Amino acid sequence: MTVRSWLSLYALLIRTSIKSRMQYKFNFILASFLAALIQISEFLMVAIVLYKFGAIQGWSMHEIGYLFAVMTLSKTLYRTLADEVHHLERYLVNGELDQLLTRPMPVLLALMPQKFRIMLGEVLQGGFLLWWSLHGMMAAGQVGWSAVPQSLYIIVTGAVILFSIGLATATFGFWTTRITELQNLTEDAARTAAQYPLTLYPKWMSSILLIVVPVGLVNYVPSLYILRGELGAWVLPALAGAALLCLILSLKFWQFGLTKYQSTGS
Amino acid sequence: MIEVSNIRKEFKTPVVKEGRFSGLRTLFTREYRTKEAVKGISFHVEPGEFVGYIGPNGAGKSTTIKMLTGILHPTSGRVSIGGLNPHKERRSVVNNLGVVFGQRSQLWWDLPVKDSYDILAKMYSVDQADKERRLGQFAELLDLRAFWETPVRKLSLGQRMRADLAAAMLHDPDVLFLDEPTIGLDVNAKRNIRHFLKLINEQFGKTILLTTHDMDDIEQLCNRVMVINNGELSYDGTVKSLRETIGLPTVITVTFRGPFVIPEQFQGEGNLSVPIRVTGSLDNTVTIEVNRREMNTLDIFKELGRWGELDDIDMEDPDFEDVIHKVY
Amino acid sequence: MLYFTLASKAYARNLQYRGAHMVHNVASAMFGFMYACIWLGLGADYALGDYGTQGMVGYIAFTQAALWVSSFVTNGLGIPQAVRTGHISLDLMRPVHLFSHLMAKEWGQIAYQFVYKSIPIYLVYYVAFSLQLPGKAVTFLYVAIALAGAAYLSICINYLIGASALWTTESSWLYWGNHAMINLLAGFFIPIEWLPGWLQTIAWWSPYPYLLYVPTRIYLGFDDVSHLWGTLSWCVLLTLASLLATGFLRRKVEVQGG
Repeated sequence: MTVRSWLSLYALLIRTSIKSRMQYKFNFILASFLAALIQISEFLMVAIVLYKFGAIQGWSMHEIGYLFAVMTLSKTLYRTLADEVHHLERYLVNGELDQLLTRPMPVLLALMPQKFRIMLGEVLQGGFLLWWSLHGMMAAGQVGWSAVPQSLYIIVTGAVILFSIGLATATFGFWTTRITELQNLTEDAARTAAQYPLTLYPKWMSSILLIVVPVGLVNYVPSLYILRGELGAWVLPALAGAALLCLILSLKFWQFGLTKYQSTGS
Repeated sequence: MIEVSNIRKEFKTPVVKEGRFSGLRTLFTREYRTKEAVKGISFHVEPGEFVGYIGPNGAGKSTTIKMLTGILHPTSGRVSIGGLNPHKERRSVVNNLGVVFGQRSQLWWDLPVKDSYDILAKMYSVDQADKERRLGQFAELLDLRAFWETPVRKLSLGQRMRADLAAAMLHDPDVLFLDEPTIGLDVNAKRNIRHFLKLINEQFGKTILLTTHDMDDIEQLCNRVMVINNGELSYDGTVKSLRETIGLPTVITVTFRGPFVIPEQFQGEGNLSVPIRVTGSLDNTVTIEVNRREMNTLDIFKELGRWGELDDIDMEDPDFEDVIHKVY
Repeated sequence: MLYFTLASKAYARNLQYRGAHMVHNVASAMFGFMYACIWLGLGADYALGDYGTQGMVGYIAFTQAALWVSSFVTNGLGIPQAVRTGHISLDLMRPVHLFSHLMAKEWGQIAYQFVYKSIPIYLVYYVAFSLQLPGKAVTFLYVAIALAGAAYLSICINYLIGASALWTTESSWLYWGNHAMINLLAGFFIPIEWLPGWLQTIAWWSPYPYLLYVPTRIYLGFDDVSHLWGTLSWCVLLTLASLLATGFLRRKVEVQGG
């Protein structure tokens, strides 16, 4: 199974998934719009506070909107392509993981094409927020057009980082089977925390959010450079390096967990 | 084709703590209980054999199968399929292996059946021409055209099982492992599937290992059966000799014409030293149990002939189910 | 007696998972901690009206704990699920009114959540932020009434959401929509008086402020006890709506077979 054939396999999955979803076009579009609206209410909550007070620790409404948008889009990219990693618990409980071990490819590569998840609602919400915040900041002269490709870039590195966190969390399932509670912490809680500037939190917490569960590297750290010109241009390539490091570490951990699964069963 | 050499599997389960915070304490415990699920099993399967693999629940059946497919690593011992070790070379072995889990489908739940085959073909690098040809064959043999476009989640159990079988055979593996393929199916569906399995075994020479709780599957399909009990192989041989080995008695119902006498030594329930046991008597009919290994058929008839004038004799071989129960 | 049994069974059913729930509480407490940090950050730069920084932290602490009583209620009280499986016809056949039946079960659930989620979570905040408990004993009484009212309102709202499952398969949208409303109109993260004027008006025309804002205000010592009349009126209104809905529901099942 070469890289090329795996990609072509995944592309086939995407095509067939979209085709079968499109059969219920109206329902699908409507559901996506509603999902987008409901999720935007989380940002609206903060927007109301910002409307009244002006800024949170020096971060304006547009800047915080940007943090929200990047985080949402990174998460959407990760969950669209590799949602089944997040749902590993089901595979462990049902014994469906065994099925994947009968495929002529690494388990992770057999896991990902089990499902392609179309998250149009999140794309709409994140996309809208991104457009709105960048537009606002460009109008105010805070950022230039270079922010657009830079944002897309960090969305991709962010997705890799979130994927690594998700994979590492799921790997714990090989020992505990149930991973929902842990995911609540490392994915949901951490992600929500990073939607706001990390300077709000006590040192111990922001350190955790940068090093242990590095959600801070998804949006906050790159925003320091892209929106505020702090740090320096080295941030962007360094992020790629950090994302790669996270990926390698979590893959190693995953392989370790898998060997453990194969020696002790479920 | 399949070579299994003294494989053992030990599971270490943590001793569950009682009392407060039991869940947490169990996670950190150092006390383990060792369970030997498979205690040294060896067997050899030639290409083209159709072997049944049966045993009570918890006997180590699925553990053995998992070790054969590379899902589980044995604690010790060797496995070789087609000359390759499934643990060291999982991907190569699996390329030549088809697996069907009766309880779960390997197809994509939300997509039409045909899409699953397209994806699987890509997974196993089956080229277009071969895929079309094989699917054409399977579609006929298993009558798949009727639900070709239906999403898998809408299929009935029988339809899904047929589709799963075709999926397992798509990359033309030499070896097939089937785990309870007929479970929950109605009579027609079972017949259909058994017919297909017999065909691919006899005509295409596929080696098949079948685990099942349905004894009719074994009787109709397998020329050889292995019985596992308590982690050990308690029987490995043909179906026929299994019956004989177990030595369950044949039940014979004799109808006499006119009066008859049952000799003294055969009367009484507790008399185990005689080969013929009388288990019931009504009007002109007597029911007896005989172990045909202890007394051959001709001698039985001669003996019965001495009791009275024979009118009718009906012989019932022990149910295969009962034979198996005896083995368990 | 029956209702008590239904409630205590629901309570007991949850007990076996309390280990996992305690772990979950850590994550829940984290959320509140984050929101509190945001207000601490704001308080450093701005004056925070009636509350002051410490007051706002107390506000967040109480609302977060109260979520388990007035917000995290079983989706549609389990009706959508019962409709999907067809179980709803069985439920309607029982000699107990559907509303009181489901409500009793939910009270058990809420009682469990109060003891095993709200209280531990609040304790964490209490310690972490050195909060103060209300000074007067009578405050606790009013808070209890407000919370009970909030729980009741939440039950009614979810009952109506659940009932809608008989007419549409998209009732989960109503459930999430309800949550969105709570985020915006119940004083979840920001006190209602700081909402833009038009949004405030909308909020007070809805039952949402009585779910979180009113109990919190009373707890923090603001003399808003008069709000309890609002709680009462909404309780009456939503009860009527629920009874009406049951009537429609019953007719639909009888006519269509569920």
